[in-house]
Amino acid sequence: MAARAPSKRPARPSAPAPAAARPLALVYLLGWLVPGGGHLWLGRTAKGAAFLVMLPLMFVIGLALDGRLFPFAPGDPLVALASIANVGSGLPYFIAQALGFGAGRVISVTYEYGNAFLIAAGLLNALVIIDAHDIALGRK
Amino acid sequence: MNRTSHVLLMTLFAACVAAVGGVLLKDTPAEQARTAAGIFGSLVGAALAFGWILYFLPL
Repeated sequence: MAARAPSKRPARPSAPAPAAARPLALVYLLGWLVPGGGHLWLGRTAKGAAFLVMLPLMFVIGLALDGRLFPFAPGDPLVALASIANVGSGLPYFIAQALGFGAGRVISVTYEYGNAFLIAAGLLNALVIIDAHDIALGRK
Repeated sequence: MNRTSHVLLMTLFAACVAAVGGVLLKDTPAEQARTAAGIFGSLVGAALAFGWILYFLPL
């Protein structure tokens, strides 16, 4: 593996020193499965805790609003993209699937709002993983 | 909770996205609160503005 060029931005003085030494793959995996888990592992406790509360809360609100966890359907690009976004929520997605939630109720007046919450929760978790990636590399 | 209020649900969505965005983008609590307030105001303001624009369009 090629050596990474040193970041031009100085690391935060309060950043834990061993953060850059954590295996990136584990940061990604933990950050994906547990929203905010990457930050918690890297020592950014306050940020990690905020993500750990907010993202699953958005996911639960989406389910409560009769949103749907979309199946992966390559023939329907929009549904496929929505399903990828749903999977981005990590463990909450798999738990909801296992418990039979997320069937979606199209006739519900809040159906689209539920979908918006579910999709946004997954996409925001992807941004959180990218942020954890930057922290792990010492860029933030 | 009034589940049929579109404005309430839109505001709740904007608040959630703003909270995550603020924490994600900034490091100090004061900066996070300011950024979250800006994101929230932008989302709600844009939604209301587009809502009024669409109101005057003959559909």
